[in-house]
Amino acid sequence: MFRIKGLKKIDTNLTILFIILVLVILTLSVLLPGHFFTFRNFKSMAFQFPEFGLLALAMTLAMITGGIDLSVIATANLTGIIAALIMTKGVTPEALGPHTALIIIVAVVAALVLAIVCGLINGFLISFLGVPAILATLGTMIFYSGVGMAITKGIGVVGFPESYLEIGSGSFAHIPIPLIIFVVVTVLIAVVLRKTSFGLNMYFVGANQIAARFCGININFTILRTYMTTGLLAGISSLIMISRFNSAKVGYGDTYLLQAIVVAVLGGIDPYGGHGRVIGVVMGIIILQALQNAFTLFGFTPYAKGFIWGLVLILVMIINFITSKYQEKARIQRMSA
Amino acid sequence: MLERMFKRHETYLFIIIILYSIVVTSVNKSFMSFENFFDIIRGSAGMGILAMGVLVVLLSGGIDVSFTAVAISGGYIAVRTIMATGWDSLFVAFLISCAIGIALGAINGVIISYFKLPTLITTLGTLNVFHGALTTFVGTESVNAREMPLCFVNFGSARLIKLVNEQGGTYGLSVFIIPLVAVIVITWFILKYTMLGRGIFAIGSNKESAIRAGLNVKAIQMFIYSYVGFLAGVMGVISVSEVRWVNPVYLVGTELTIIAAVVIGGTKLTGGSGTILGTILGVGIVRILYNTLVLLGLSAAWNNFFVGIIIIASVAITSYRNKLKAMRSLTFKM
Repeated sequence: MFRIKGLKKIDTNLTILFIILVLVILTLSVLLPGHFFTFRNFKSMAFQFPEFGLLALAMTLAMITGGIDLSVIATANLTGIIAALIMTKGVTPEALGPHTALIIIVAVVAALVLAIVCGLINGFLISFLGVPAILATLGTMIFYSGVGMAITKGIGVVGFPESYLEIGSGSFAHIPIPLIIFVVVTVLIAVVLRKTSFGLNMYFVGANQIAARFCGININFTILRTYMTTGLLAGISSLIMISRFNSAKVGYGDTYLLQAIVVAVLGGIDPYGGHGRVIGVVMGIIILQALQNAFTLFGFTPYAKGFIWGLVLILVMIINFITSKYQEKARIQRMSA
Repeated sequence: MLERMFKRHETYLFIIIILYSIVVTSVNKSFMSFENFFDIIRGSAGMGILAMGVLVVLLSGGIDVSFTAVAISGGYIAVRTIMATGWDSLFVAFLISCAIGIALGAINGVIISYFKLPTLITTLGTLNVFHGALTTFVGTESVNAREMPLCFVNFGSARLIKLVNEQGGTYGLSVFIIPLVAVIVITWFILKYTMLGRGIFAIGSNKESAIRAGLNVKAIQMFIYSYVGFLAGVMGVISVSEVRWVNPVYLVGTELTIIAAVVIGGTKLTGGSGTILGTILGVGIVRILYNTLVLLGLSAAWNNFFVGIIIIASVAITSYRNKLKAMRSLTFKM
């Protein structure tokens, strides 16, 4: 008895989210018969959303600690550009063989290391120097995109070895590789958040930083590691992105920033920090991807999509506000009853 | 007194500007000329006006990233309306643009003050809503110099002081400086000499205390965001007149640079602290940087790189000094 009641209380928001998810898919399937609910469409969505999903997860982690990471896209772009440069300078597109594989591995490792360093800079600014997260990631966002722009002069880097394109467009046992990467990463993050002290520390730091400090939690290291992870996720996302786009350019994924925040808020992450679960964000990602897909099929312009996402973001937050006030009132009534 | 001057953030900004100007002039003499100065002033007017609005928002502890969408909405709708109705008057242009600016700003104000939503995310949402609404419902046709109503063109080329350079070309101090100075003075007056201004600082320092002190926080916040909208409306008209071309996709994307300029000027993002002079210097640094990187031989591609470094360095130094001060006095800030 106790377990069912407890489950219902904790998971009301998630249950509502799940119902919305099912409703959205059903409605879209009805509105776009033969286009939406097809295996081909779902498979193409499964190729598209992982790169965004990883960025959304990065944003989630930053928001759980009460901060935000505006620089994830810029980090992804920069690491993608570096990986692309290594690959295109190292081998020609047609090359095969162990030398090619070595260059690809070097590029991947370099990109991930750079991504972690970018995140490290963010974490250092926020934790050790005390810079507010918005400001620090704003500065690094402008800086990283500046570095990328200075390196490439705005021109895209093209000419990857064919075997690299497998990551973005290949499948393993009929499951798209980006999806496999996404699922593995998501499960890892969910486990880390719920079962490790690092993850729990992130929640505590986000909920009440002063209390966490007096509990003996090392705030600086927690924040540092959070943003290093954020950077790493951005790096993984960039590797998928450049493989799918077959090029690396400044400005890819700029629209993802607002969408990442929308998805995090939709998934139940409190922008003030300390609350939220990965499964909520995953459902948010799926809802967003389904709607994005439908909007494209409907022929909306990018601005119209932005319009809707902005509206959704504000409405969801207003609804959250109203429901939390309602819950607060109900709680007070129950206590005084 | 000299000691007090050196403790102030603005002094360092001023020194940086002087030093940088010396470096640039030694590389390329054309920097240190009236023509170049007037050019910088003309280009900075719009950014300066918006920065005043951003300053007011930041002082209250909030953030607004939607003002560029408000500015372009005001400007674009003003142009299209004048083209459609033929009321070719600068006054009408400002009237339309500022009215739209106040209306959109008020929307921000209502959401933030009544629903108490986090300001960054809210205005990120309204940025996309306003911009999306503009492009979807009003259209995306650009208006170029030939079709531009005369009031804008005349405003853009009007000069306060006219001079002639060696090659015989005329240049001069643009009239843009009039609205710029007017906005600076009005903002300064509001912040320093009115209870409204005091209230803004109070909300930024500690919102809870401000509420308990009896300040009408909701009304003050409504004013703040409507004021930013109003200034954005002004800037919209100036921006259209400056380049004699308008397209709804223009201008949006520059908001973060303007916020960065205000922050470089020493305004704290958490609110309650910031000066007009600092903001002016911050905008000055960013504009001079944009203007001079080309003179130093670096293409425009390097703009973000240097602006980014300056932002990071400036906020890092400010925040770290604050942190040391807080640690020494054993205050813990949430």
